Amino acid sequence: MQATTLKPPRERRWSRQNSNPVLGVAMILPAAVALALFQFLPLITAALNSLQSFSPFDQSSTGWVGFDNYLELLADPAFRSALFNTFLYIVLMLGLTIPLALVLAVLIDKRLPGSTWARNAIIGALAASEAVTALIWNQMYEPSSGLFNAILNAMQLPGQPFLTGSGQALISIVVMSVWKDVGLPMLIFLAGLQAIPRELPEAAELDGATERQIFWTITLPLLRPSVIVALFMTTITATRIFTPILIMTQGGPQGSTTNLALYSYLLGFEFQSPGAASASVVCMLLVLALITAAQGLILRDKGAN
Amino acid sequence: MAANDKVSKQPGLSRRALLAGMAGAAIAGTFAPGIIRSARAAEGKIDLGGYAGPELTTEPVTLRFMRQDFTPDVNALLEGAYAEFQAAYPNISIVEEKVPYGDLQKKLLVYVASNDAPDIMMGRTDFADGYHAGKVALPLQDYFSADYLADVPDNLRAAASSGGNLYCVPWETSVMLLYFNRDLFEKAGVPTPPEPEGLEGGWTDEEFIANLEKVNAGLKAAGDQQSWALAAAGQGNGGPGANYSQLESIWIRSQGDPNAPKDSPQYKTLMGISDDGRSVTGYIDTPEAIKGMQYYQSLFQKGLTPLGPVPNQFPGGLAATYFGGLNFTNRFRVPGLEPPFKWGVSLPPKGNIVFNGNGSDAPLVWAKSKHPAEAAALLAFLCNDKNRLAFHRAWGSMPSRTSLRNAMSEFATEQPFKMASALSNSSYSVPRTPGYFDYFNAMNPAVKDIALGADPAKVLPETAAKIDRLLAKYR
Repeated sequence: MQATTLKPPRERRWSRQNSNPVLGVAMILPAAVALALFQFLPLITAALNSLQSFSPFDQSSTGWVGFDNYLELLADPAFRSALFNTFLYIVLMLGLTIPLALVLAVLIDKRLPGSTWARNAIIGALAASEAVTALIWNQMYEPSSGLFNAILNAMQLPGQPFLTGSGQALISIVVMSVWKDVGLPMLIFLAGLQAIPRELPEAAELDGATERQIFWTITLPLLRPSVIVALFMTTITATRIFTPILIMTQGGPQGSTTNLALYSYLLGFEFQSPGAASASVVCMLLVLALITAAQGLILRDKGAN
Repeated sequence: MAANDKVSKQPGLSRRALLAGMAGAAIAGTFAPGIIRSARAAEGKIDLGGYAGPELTTEPVTLRFMRQDFTPDVNALLEGAYAEFQAAYPNISIVEEKVPYGDLQKKLLVYVASNDAPDIMMGRTDFADGYHAGKVALPLQDYFSADYLADVPDNLRAAASSGGNLYCVPWETSVMLLYFNRDLFEKAGVPTPPEPEGLEGGWTDEEFIANLEKVNAGLKAAGDQQSWALAAAGQGNGGPGANYSQLESIWIRSQGDPNAPKDSPQYKTLMGISDDGRSVTGYIDTPEAIKGMQYYQSLFQKGLTPLGPVPNQFPGGLAATYFGGLNFTNRFRVPGLEPPFKWGVSLPPKGNIVFNGNGSDAPLVWAKSKHPAEAAALLAFLCNDKNRLAFHRAWGSMPSRTSLRNAMSEFATEQPFKMASALSNSSYSVPRTPGYFDYFNAMNPAVKDIALGADPAKVLPETAAKIDRLLAKYR
């Protein structure tokens, strides 16, 4: 058998001809300007606003207050509750969405009968308007005339306070969000599955590996990059969840569904406190940064260079 | 010298007089069209109602007006009125922006923050103290005649005023009536509520709840599993916590007493806030307030009313009672629009008093409007007798002026209108604070939590502490 040597990919080098600095700057300028205007400027503005107080009437700054807005937040039990709920949303969304998306991707990848229909239905839910979806689920959760309680009643089971009980409202919103958002991680997994060379599971099968062994030892490790992307995307989605909460519970009952996004909105637009609202937004960003950093740390590939 | 002066002033056409005359003629020629237009308006071409401000400009002016979207017939009325105004004042054009009712106050605040607000915005009397403290609205009393202002009952004028200035024009007023479906009461075998013309004789809180329980049981016994004893609230977003100012505050503030000593919990319960408008602890969490909210909560716990919003439950004939404004009476009286059942109207349940909150829509002129006189004149025109009567007949709301009620014969002859008038005359403004927007937005979810089962004795003190924190920024 002849040994083959793989040539390392040729390194791309900039030649004099394509190193025009003006052209390079011109090409990155639109993206840089857009990023500066729509990403960094609002972020810097929020950070600066969080250190100021504002007139509740015309929202004009009334001066610098240092970290008073942050201290005010820490003194507010509703903020602590919103912070806890934000973590809860993230944990529940990750715990339900990622496994479900993986299962759906594996099933659809097997091209079973009806898999095209299932894929279209899942993508359809993903494409649907968040507000419309929340309104429809709101109706289905309705305590006296909703679909879910009608089914429970038909089965002689007691009706449930899906959105009206403080113990169930958050999980009810998460279930709706999982139904709606599972499509994106599923597509990511599906792309990852289809990128795995077919020879690998086939070879393992020839060697007598069971389906379960193939999944755990070949498929899942090779899906690692897809898992990381899906985790990041779902974490961001879960942290930012807003519209369903606003439409379905407005943060209640008793603040049990209020997360930091809704809490910030309420402070800014219902309670005329832009300074405290900005401080809350900064806290939300810190939470998101911490979680994604932790995920990156935990999921880093120690074997990779 | 003196003699020479006398000589120079002798009769005759001097050169100076000739030049002055020519200049005067030129100026008159330049401004003649404007003067003629103003004169035509002043001749009474259109009725500017109670307008008593300065003469309107003849320069081209564009007035921006932000208001809620009404029904098509009411929108058409307003658009017709603009057209009439513009025909009389061709130099004034009107640009209108309609926004969803629930977004009006938020949009108003955003516009004010942007420093580019419409000249006229639909506000609410609830926020008159905020309009004053924030210098949001123009004081309007100097733009309206004393007679016009005296035509507005004292309690409604006070609700629209702050610090002695009128900040919004009382446009209509709010009354909350207890509507009932005679057919469902008959089906349940329960006598209908009393139908008084004044404030005496309605059900108490206990009677109201006990009778609704009987209705509920009677309907179930008659095999009706669909109908409810009390319809879900239709105000705001519907359901519990829909609109504290107009609806749910009845349960708390009716437990108060206007004649009790000022430092008593009964008086504080009625007022809902300290005199300086900065503190609600000891006002919304009194034993009386908690008792009122316990009554309210029992409606939900006893299954007498739905836990969530249900649109058009009462007009659809699926509820025995409903809290609604006078517009339902007006709507139900229109031939062809009658509901599919016989109906009646009673007083809202009485705690210690029969309570009615008069917070209602009221347009204001932005304090920084470049055309305050023209904006005030347009408002005055929209509020003249003809336009107001047409509006109230189409929209069905309660007039805010005594002369308008006198002009509508039903207020003298029909029970619902007489009762509504009595309620309005004894009505109270919302708790007076520049931070009422915060107060209102904190009370609505608290009320909803109580409806869904939270303990009023825990929720009300927590909410009071929260509102105190929120009001601190208005110091």
